[in-house]
Amino acid sequence: MRILRLIRAVAANSFSESVRHRFFTLFFVFACTAIYASVLAGVMAVDQEARVLTDFGLAFMELTALAYALFNAASVLPKEAETKTIYLVFSRPVPRWAYLAGKLAGSLLTSALMLAVMGAMHLLLLKVRGFGVPPCYAWALAGSLLKLSVITSFAFFVSLFSTSAVSTMVISGVFWTAGHFASETRFLAEQSGGVKAGVFKAAMWLIPNFQLFNTRDAAGAACALGPAAFLSAAAWVCGAYLAALCLISKKEF
Amino acid sequence: MSRFVLPAAALLAWSAGAAVSGSYYRSPFPPPSEIHTPADGAAGDMFALAFGARRLFADVWFIRLMQYYGTPEFCEHEEHGTDAHAHHHCGENGEGKYPEFLARSRHVLEIDPGFTMAALYAAGSLAFNMGRQAEAEELLHYALKYSPKEWKYLKVLAAIGYTKADDPAAVAAAIAPILKDPDCPVMLKQQAAFLNKKIGNYPAAAAIYADIAATSRDTAYVRNAERELEKLSRLPPVKRKSP
Repeated sequence: MRILRLIRAVAANSFSESVRHRFFTLFFVFACTAIYASVLAGVMAVDQEARVLTDFGLAFMELTALAYALFNAASVLPKEAETKTIYLVFSRPVPRWAYLAGKLAGSLLTSALMLAVMGAMHLLLLKVRGFGVPPCYAWALAGSLLKLSVITSFAFFVSLFSTSAVSTMVISGVFWTAGHFASETRFLAEQSGGVKAGVFKAAMWLIPNFQLFNTRDAAGAACALGPAAFLSAAAWVCGAYLAALCLISKKEF
Repeated sequence: MSRFVLPAAALLAWSAGAAVSGSYYRSPFPPPSEIHTPADGAAGDMFALAFGARRLFADVWFIRLMQYYGTPEFCEHEEHGTDAHAHHHCGENGEGKYPEFLARSRHVLEIDPGFTMAALYAAGSLAFNMGRQAEAEELLHYALKYSPKEWKYLKVLAAIGYTKADDPAAVAAAIAPILKDPDCPVMLKQQAAFLNKKIGNYPAAAAIYADIAATSRDTAYVRNAERELEKLSRLPPVKRKSP
């Protein structure tokens, strides 16, 4: 119980710090761009306005939340080390694994809040334009949150060995795009042979398959996320967390 | 020994994620070898794949297709008599060759094979406006490859068959079930209304025009539907009844 209270305290602190950060207002950028896009979409897409507005909103929402999640995950641990706050925490009976779990939970909560705020704004905009809630909307947001969970935990891990926040963001960004090429990587692995096939198969094991969570693109088809998506996300988050824990345990604070 | 436990556990967890994903995930999208970018748009396609935004970029390609098809392809200049009255006739109502139409519409489906409305719009335009039934069938067969249970494609394929047999009543009957579907493009509704008018089924034509006027956001189609409704209302009451 004490450990759970500790994790909750670290998570709550991390969450409130993130929400109070100026960069969190990034969702205002989303709102302005979405309104501008809705005017454009109305003119260009004619009878497909609802679809275009939905697709643009969901994609842009995910990218906005990704930008914030990466910034947050890349800077939170190095900043705590730089400001020596981490020494203060570890001078108390706080295990490193609980601290890391709390920080990760705080970041994920912030991403969830950001998606929820932007989702509400997006739905409001759709309502103003005379459209209802698009089918599979909640699943699309859930898929985005799972993707963000995996990439945030990976960015936490990278931030512990990279030299700067920018390099963490770049590495994680590359990982994000590579993760969306999973089905293409599988195709190439099946088409090629020898060493090439081996390289592609290794990439399939090392890079998480973000298409598994990409409900946005599957909307209209079977859009519900299956248990495999939740299991894989949990396993990848757990793997990245353990790798980050391995690094943070070796650091001298 | 204990220093290897954490890295081993991390690797194990990561591999478990890859194993679960690898055994359950089957891509619903066409393989990269099937994606043929017909015009300058390779960068867009790359973004579509890299950010998992296929639907969004398929929308962009569809808007580009509509712009391509909405741009008159040719203008004829005619002079009447000696009073130098000139008349410009530009290709309207989908007239023209539009050689890239099939490639562009197929590309929309290569990016998002679930974009039913785009497939219906493109197949309808090819078959009924441009008279290229073979290309329309090719497009629908491609769409059916990724959506084999899509009954609307089968209906349009049947309608194309009746078009070849020059049976407008059968064409109208074949596409009638699609008209109330939210995926039905307004162009197909207009085509159904026109066919019903042609075979003398004025009440059905009027109902479709009324639906276009009430639901479409495309002002050109709405204005045309209002005009047609007005013309139909001026018909003698005997003609307005079903044949």
